[in-house]
Amino acid sequence: MSAQSSENRVAQAILNGYLAVFFLYMFAPLIVMSLAAFNAYDYPSVTQWRGWTLKWFSALAEDDRILIGLQNTVVVALGVIVISLPLGLAGAFILTRLQSRWTGLLYAALVSPILTPGIILGISTLIFWRNFDVPGGLFLTVLAQSSFIASYSMLLFMARLQRQDRVLEEAALDLGGSNLLVFRRITLPFLYPTIATASVIAFLQSIENYNTTVFAIGGDWTLVTEIGSRFRFGLSPVINVIGVIFVVLTVVAATLYAYYRERERKRVLAIELELRAMDRQARLAAKRRGPEADETAVPLPARA
Amino acid sequence: MNELLRSYGRGLTGLFVGLTIVWLAVLVIVPQAMMLEQSLWSKERGSEISLRIDRAYTELETAKFDLAGDLAPDKKAELEDAVSRLEAEIAELEAQEQDPPKVYGLQNYTKMSGLHFNIFVKTIAYAALVTLLALVVCYPIAYAVAHLSTPRKAALLLLGLTIPYAINELLRVYAWLMILDYQGVINSFLAAIGFVSFEAKTWVPFLEYSGSVFVAMIYAYILFMVFPIYNTLETLDRNQIEAAKDLGGSIWLTHRRVVIPHAKPGIAVGCIMTFMLSAGSYAVPQIMTRGKSGDWFSQLIYRQFFESFNWNVGAAYSFTLLIACIVFIFLMMAIFKVGIRDIAK
Repeated sequence: MSAQSSENRVAQAILNGYLAVFFLYMFAPLIVMSLAAFNAYDYPSVTQWRGWTLKWFSALAEDDRILIGLQNTVVVALGVIVISLPLGLAGAFILTRLQSRWTGLLYAALVSPILTPGIILGISTLIFWRNFDVPGGLFLTVLAQSSFIASYSMLLFMARLQRQDRVLEEAALDLGGSNLLVFRRITLPFLYPTIATASVIAFLQSIENYNTTVFAIGGDWTLVTEIGSRFRFGLSPVINVIGVIFVVLTVVAATLYAYYRERERKRVLAIELELRAMDRQARLAAKRRGPEADETAVPLPARA
Repeated sequence: MNELLRSYGRGLTGLFVGLTIVWLAVLVIVPQAMMLEQSLWSKERGSEISLRIDRAYTELETAKFDLAGDLAPDKKAELEDAVSRLEAEIAELEAQEQDPPKVYGLQNYTKMSGLHFNIFVKTIAYAALVTLLALVVCYPIAYAVAHLSTPRKAALLLLGLTIPYAINELLRVYAWLMILDYQGVINSFLAAIGFVSFEAKTWVPFLEYSGSVFVAMIYAYILFMVFPIYNTLETLDRNQIEAAKDLGGSIWLTHRRVVIPHAKPGIAVGCIMTFMLSAGSYAVPQIMTRGKSGDWFSQLIYRQFFESFNWNVGAAYSFTLLIACIVFIFLMMAIFKVGIRDIAK
């Protein structure tokens, strides 16, 4: 027994050390990159330190190509949301309700873009639209990105629809509600949280996409393809500033989310405790009134 | 189909079916089919045709020269005939030279040079190695986050995993460029302890080794391995692990017989995603070589499209990459005995 517990302790220690090394591996590069944004040296570096500066931040604010790229990124991301959410939703409805031996094949076809290398999605879009004389650009970027982001939305909607209680829809239909009314008043509201999640995920997927975009973008550029071309022509700490902004935004968003989750958890816990206390008081009151009145106290379930 | 019609009526069902068909056709199937079609033909602008044009021009000149001389009427008519015939032939040949006919065949695939084929094999081998290493590195992490931590600590660890995940792939890789650069962090460290000297230019040229692409790639895609495995491990009942331990199973045996079998779908998804991303990665090799060179198959494809403007060969190379990825997916499904439904979750 003691042999096993000491084995466990050693294993735990090794694992903790491993976790520490792993997170160092994950974060050290980000720290190096962020530090270089504040170095006065003209080439991004942390080793040739020329003193702290904020000049790269103002350089970024005056960098037109990057600002236009940012604008294009947002336009593309909004376009992707507009196209991929309805497609994903339609696919999810069909796959969750269609009982056929073709369902498996259809499913495979609809998720295949996720498993296809991004560059191939960009290339095939480019080749397809050349037949209609549409050159690479923001429009093709929206379409190329939508082909796989729609699949992600579909998976999210499917997960939600599989948890749907159909009784409500059935009841509304039996009471004479039209299909459209039932869809608008029952199905859609049930999907609202997923629509929000899917929009956020589509937006994030779109703004950070490079491999698909670089083939479909043509002469235009997004923030990410502009960063990509800077590696070839004129690397400067301005890129690091963008990195710092990304890091800060991500940390803030992730922390807010974690904080919100924690508060939600505490709120649920508090309600649970309050209910327990009420329950206990009710029981006490019932006991004081005598055993015959016990039925009036409604026992609460142990967990809310 | 009946169930759909009953829940949503004709109009909405029609809309859903229509949207799905448009999605499949316009965004997925037809573009892929066209890429395949494009890869199966080429336009040969052979030297033979221009030789024939030159010869026709010479004949035409001779005939015209003869015409200018003193000739019998029948001879003259014959020569005039020859001139108009030659002129028609030249016009036709020149049209052909401008727009040569499509020649269908596998030539775009079979023409792949030894160098390009080596790059293809190297890319696939590297991608497989990246996948394997990522699996080895990530499995303990996913297990630790899912099972060995208190809920609070697990939430913190997940947060730590999400932050690098949310930062752009290019910027994540860029951080490694700074570390491995000539005067980067590692070389400066080596100089500080006297291993290399900047004056004597004896620094280690990490970026010239293809291994640097490899290191950055593991870094860039490691989290696509962690999350799928974590998701499946999270659903494993902790009592099963306890039971295995109580029955005297060692840590190794418990993992081999209880935890890993449960995590199979997650491992399969993680491997497929990591392999697909690394085999098809354009960003990582492009940045690690600062866009100057780099022999990753995706860069070769990019050059076929945007530098050689040979879309047919580019399409053939893309299709080859796609086939490699599909083969890998089926391989994983066979090894881990999972279906397509388990995969995309």
